[in-house]
Amino acid sequence: MIIQIILLVGLVIFAGLAILAKDLLKAALSLAVASLFLGIIFFRLSAPYAGVFEISVVAGLITVLFALTISLTRKNDQVQEARLVKIAFPLFFILFLIIDGLVMKSLLLKVPALPAGPEAGTFGQVLWKQRTFDLIAQIGVILAGVLAVLALFRKKEEDKDE
Amino acid sequence: MVFSFIVIPLLVAAIMPLLGKISKKLIPDVLTNAALAFLLLNSILLIKPIFNQGSIIQNISWMGEKVNLQIALDSFNLFMLFTISLVSLAISLFSIDYLEHYGHKANFYALLLVMIAGMNGLVLVPDLFSIYLFLEVAAVASYALVAFGLGYDELEASFKYLMLSAVASAFALLSITIIFGMTSSLNFQDVARGLQDLSARYVIGVCLAFFIMGFGLKAALVPFHAWLPDAHPSAPAPISAMLSGLLIKVSGVYALFRIIYSVIGMTPVMSQVLMALGTISMVVAAFLALGQKDIKRMLAYSSISQVGYIVLGLAIGTPLGIAGGLFHLFNHAVAKGLLFLNSGSIQHITGTRNLEELGGLGKRVPLTAGTNLVGSLSIAGVPPLAGFWSKLVIIMALIQAKQMGYALIAILASILTLWYYLLIQRRAFFGQMNEKWSHIKEAPFWMSAANVILALICILVGIFFTPVFKTWISPAAEALARGVQQVMMWGI
Repeated sequence: MIIQIILLVGLVIFAGLAILAKDLLKAALSLAVASLFLGIIFFRLSAPYAGVFEISVVAGLITVLFALTISLTRKNDQVQEARLVKIAFPLFFILFLIIDGLVMKSLLLKVPALPAGPEAGTFGQVLWKQRTFDLIAQIGVILAGVLAVLALFRKKEEDKDE
Repeated sequence: MVFSFIVIPLLVAAIMPLLGKISKKLIPDVLTNAALAFLLLNSILLIKPIFNQGSIIQNISWMGEKVNLQIALDSFNLFMLFTISLVSLAISLFSIDYLEHYGHKANFYALLLVMIAGMNGLVLVPDLFSIYLFLEVAAVASYALVAFGLGYDELEASFKYLMLSAVASAFALLSITIIFGMTSSLNFQDVARGLQDLSARYVIGVCLAFFIMGFGLKAALVPFHAWLPDAHPSAPAPISAMLSGLLIKVSGVYALFRIIYSVIGMTPVMSQVLMALGTISMVVAAFLALGQKDIKRMLAYSSISQVGYIVLGLAIGTPLGIAGGLFHLFNHAVAKGLLFLNSGSIQHITGTRNLEELGGLGKRVPLTAGTNLVGSLSIAGVPPLAGFWSKLVIIMALIQAKQMGYALIAILASILTLWYYLLIQRRAFFGQMNEKWSHIKEAPFWMSAANVILALICILVGIFFTPVFKTWISPAAEALARGVQQVMMWGI
């Protein structure tokens, strides 16, 4: 019980810091710590899959992407499109997919199956055979996110092309 | 095939950025319009099977393997699919010429198609969590589309919209979580059955309150409307038309009433709460619209007011009231789509949306003035246009349900609506022409064509009101009025 309270308080404090911190890097790191607390809470509440995803994706991938982006900005300056971004982002993304795939594979083999219930089954079965539509919708959300980045980070001077 | 409503727009959107590298204009224009025309045709072809069978349940397998891709189609969601396809196609046609000055058509169309896929998915899935996910698909695309111009106002409006939309989604998700906790299911049919067996009146009441806050925010009902007058005018005109014409109705009104009628079951208390919210929206937003100088801002307030009418009609709970609400939903989608596209034409022609700078445009651009007049009079409820009939049906349903006070307010709000629409018409198109507009020309072909198509629909639906209402609106209303029994009939 005490551990649970400590975890919850930690989650709220770091989530608050993520919003309040003026330094973007500190805010991103606070968000990562908050995600870590949340991931641990998920593990303790017998939701290992949610825990794995929370820690690997939110505390891992997103934080590194934030940190990478923030490191490219300068004080009182607009973000300059550097050549580094074009190389670093795809490289990092592929690297992350490989490492994350390996880590997740070993982790998911070790975590126990979900408790019995109407949505029971192995992780793959639940996701693929029972919540298939959710997968399609998630592809839709990711596609929307990627297209949004392409649209909003386009070079404005190219707008009147052709 | 029903599944194509989700898959085709998603697939076309996924390849659009690549195709945009090959051809920056022609292929994106043709492919997007062809995909949307196919969806419209598909929705028309489905009308007969739905009339014969009542509902269609489709299970899709993946390479012979059974997966849970289940779609439920009845006359209510077919009605929504047809409305989405029709208005989207007109908007897409308008975009061919309108987007010339924005550029990056491939990106724009890709986001538009994802938004349409999200709305279609939301309408088709018989599962609470999937509804939430498709809501997010449409929402994420719409945030980017609002900010597409990349100006300060666009980015600010998009951020405000994102924040309030996230709050709305959180409320809806919270309610879905509680329902899942109580019934151990997310499927409409199992949840409906589970809730009937439970005696948890107060918990269900809390869930309903969260749904109203969440979907009420998405539908921009007063007092959850603060984001809409900023977000809708800031977006490019075709997106304003999508947001006001379709998105607030699909992600707000459809989701709310599908869940209330078909999953939880409408109660007299709920009916009264929703009728009150609808009426407040109708009146407050009509007064707020009166003081606006920016055409799009006035139209945005008008959307809030007209959504009030739709909610009022649907909340009555009688088949006639629901039919009136649905009919007004369609008429408003068409007419408001038309008016936002018209505002885009005006801005394209003159470079401004400020009513005080405009005047006498009708002499130089009679087509834009004419289509604007048709859309305005239809929304204001002037006979014989489509909007007149839907408002009349709502008022008749209110009288039939002995809700005389609401009926009187609906009539008075309609007069207010006519007032502010005539203000737009008078200030922009009639009166003394400002000298600087003496050399303006009519909007380009595709922009005018889209406006004319939507204006013709307003006129034709009004003239052929009886067959349209009997063969198309009434079956959709009956599907919703059957309440929880409707999803039980699906046999999932």
